[in-house]
Amino acid sequence: MNRLRLWCLAPSASLLALLFLIPMGIVAVYSLMTRGPYGGVYAPFTLENYARLVDPLYLTILWRSFLYAVISTAICLALGFPLALFISRSGNRKNFYLAMVIVPFWTSFLVRTYAWMFLLRDTGLINTALAATGIISEPLTLLYTPFAVIVGLVYGYLPFMVLPIYATLERMDRSLVEAAADLGARPLDTLLRVIVPLSAPGIRAGSAIVFIACFGAYLTPDLLGGGKTIMIGNLVQNQFTAARDWPFGAALSLVLTGVMMLLLVPMIRSRKEGLL
Amino acid sequence: MNRRVFLLAVPGLAGCYRPGGARLNVLNWSEYVAPETIPDFEREHGVRVRYGVYESGEEMLARVMSGNSGWDVVFPTSYFIQPMRELGLLSRLDKSKLHYLEQLAAPFHSPPWDERLEWSLPYMWGATGILYQASLDPPVEAWAGLWHPRLRNRVTMLDDPAEVLGACLKKLGHSLNSGNEAELSAARQQAVAQKPLLRAYVNEIVRDQLVAGELLAAQVWRSTAMRAMEAAPGRLAFSYPSEGFPLYADNMVILRESGRKDLAHAFLDYLSRPKVASRVAEVKLESTVNKAARALLPERLRNDPILYPDAAVMSRGEWFQPLTAAAQRLRDRLWTEIKSA
Amino acid sequence: MSRWLSLYAVGAYAFLHLPLLVLAVFSFNASRFTAWEGFSLAWYREAFSNAQLVESSVNSLIIGAAATALATATGALCSYGLWKRRSAWISSTLYLSLVTPEIVIGIALLALYQWMFRFLGLQLGMHTVVLAHVMFCTAFVVMVVAARLKTFDSSLEEAAMDLGATEWQAFLRVTLPQLAPAIISAAMLAFIISFDDFVITSLVAGVDSETLPMVIYAMARKGFNPAVNAVSTIIVVALGALILLGDRLNQQ
Repeated sequence: MNRLRLWCLAPSASLLALLFLIPMGIVAVYSLMTRGPYGGVYAPFTLENYARLVDPLYLTILWRSFLYAVISTAICLALGFPLALFISRSGNRKNFYLAMVIVPFWTSFLVRTYAWMFLLRDTGLINTALAATGIISEPLTLLYTPFAVIVGLVYGYLPFMVLPIYATLERMDRSLVEAAADLGARPLDTLLRVIVPLSAPGIRAGSAIVFIACFGAYLTPDLLGGGKTIMIGNLVQNQFTAARDWPFGAALSLVLTGVMMLLLVPMIRSRKEGLL
Repeated sequence: MNRRVFLLAVPGLAGCYRPGGARLNVLNWSEYVAPETIPDFEREHGVRVRYGVYESGEEMLARVMSGNSGWDVVFPTSYFIQPMRELGLLSRLDKSKLHYLEQLAAPFHSPPWDERLEWSLPYMWGATGILYQASLDPPVEAWAGLWHPRLRNRVTMLDDPAEVLGACLKKLGHSLNSGNEAELSAARQQAVAQKPLLRAYVNEIVRDQLVAGELLAAQVWRSTAMRAMEAAPGRLAFSYPSEGFPLYADNMVILRESGRKDLAHAFLDYLSRPKVASRVAEVKLESTVNKAARALLPERLRNDPILYPDAAVMSRGEWFQPLTAAAQRLRDRLWTEIKSA
Repeated sequence: MSRWLSLYAVGAYAFLHLPLLVLAVFSFNASRFTAWEGFSLAWYREAFSNAQLVESSVNSLIIGAAATALATATGALCSYGLWKRRSAWISSTLYLSLVTPEIVIGIALLALYQWMFRFLGLQLGMHTVVLAHVMFCTAFVVMVVAARLKTFDSSLEEAAMDLGATEWQAFLRVTLPQLAPAIISAAMLAFIISFDDFVITSLVAGVDSETLPMVIYAMARKGFNPAVNAVSTIIVVALGALILLGDRLNQQ
């Protein structure tokens, strides 16, 4: 029993130790150090970086990122669940429909973001179409707005909601659904009271992935938001480049990770089952 | 088990892929050389040049800051030189290998950011100004004009703290490089006041939007403006704001990590040749620092009032200077405040 | 209800595919602006002759393939191992790696490489990118396979062993075939994540390992260039064909 388990777990254990735990350890050490006059990290150990975080400015940014992430996750769930359900019920065309979800997403995330830049600009297709049908006379400002950011986030991460939910639905015990129908439940009731609860692990997994991605998002607000809104991902990135304040950036990173943990681990590990 | 070994070998092979022959790795702003510049150098020295590009100073810094990025030559803007020096990223220049130093025009043989040219060699110089639709009446000729309600939602500023704060400082009559807390605070307030009118903080991409008529005015780098005006002749106009504007230079540096310093020096020297420099200036529509190169430019560029403005205009310009650590910190914080307002 | 579901699916697929269809259509636009000005293959010519685009696409594919192979193998095994008997520290670390934002992972890896290379004299390159990708893809693979294992009946394995199979044989002949769909699903997810990645890759990529997202980011920041449209269309068509082919083979 033990040797098989060792073989199974050894690769991931060493991977995680070397490429995750040690780097995060380095970041933790950096967060306690001081910034040199022009960047770099120097010895005097201090808690100053963490003290700086308790500031309405950074808390506002954190809150805004949280809000965007929650909204995007909710929309992804609303859009993704029915789609996963559809695919799981499409009999022997399942793989095809699944592929149809995934194939568009084999292009780069950036291409998909760029597609929305292309569509949403003043002379883009959406405005042109709206103008051609006489609905509007002046182009709507769609690009560089919070709306654009949310659309970009939802569009970018939808498959990460669909795939886990589909995986769970796939192996759902159909007899339970049939039993509900036999007992006289209407399709909607069956959906809400049998199928949805049974797909809870998939929903949790999908929502967790999407939320994490959206919360720490940095490209989408950058390209689609026009740099007008700064989210926590942009703030962290800024510390490591333009501001050259590695220690503060490190502290910010750890706090961000900590916040994520607080929010998500209960969600993933509910009822002692755990996701992994 | 065999499959496993094979799978492990794949990334190993991928990592071992190294094309043969001498190489030079150059990281530059995009579209900053003429089409024949790199191939000619490759032929002359029998080497291959890997030419990478970036769109912003921050992007460049992020790529080289590890100290083992693999790049040999990069092109930082003047105010990055001192920080890069402090981070130990730069290698001292060996002037004996650079033959065109006398060709440098007046301010550039002893620039404020590197007085003895020990670390950097100026490449091109530029400025920031306002690009606007020529149909606007009255024209936008001052930074203050970018705060006017008629531009609501059709105006942008650069996504660069030094530029945005700089414009605000100039609008208030202060120095671009101010480290004074009161002045900077006032500048921040100006920026925040402008935000409701602003469409976005964006850089190069405004070129397409101005040409397409989606925007009315924008704070732009001069090279962006030149290319936009070329793409839409007569429809766009550029102005050097009356309150004053930033001047900066892009410089060539050799990274300390480079193992090919001789070749790197040869490259710097090559780019300083009058003929080469003038071709770059012609293609990029930027101003060369090289006197002899300027003389070789076609007539329409050599005396272009925007590329080589007269003394009256130049007197309004102010060079970006490196800032003290405290000033830099303050500006970082203010920029975060502006962005999240 | 399945009628509503089908109707909804049409709408959902339209939403998913329309932006890319639009990109594809306009990749044939003679003009670089958004007004249609005639059919042209000029942008495709430009895309193929753009050495940077071609090379970075190849890099992305190589890195994606390598990272997917390694991450799927590692992750599937890990998931199975955890299912047999829990390991608190591995599970916790996997959780942690999932909730850590990409930018933080990227910076952490950069810091690691900086230190490692100080002593080993190595440089950033394809290998650093592949390793980084394997790291963050593994957790996703584990998650997907674990979700499947949750509903897996362990008595099947026990039955096999009662009939004389070794543990390893039970795994190979009984469990693995059952897990195959989930593993394939996980592999596809891993590939997407790796191919897509920009934030982490841009931080740890070296001189020769520029990936497609990095090039597209540069192009997207600069302006609206239909060559980007052309590249994305090529990729979708090529990979789409590959998947459909794989699907066809799978069904036989």
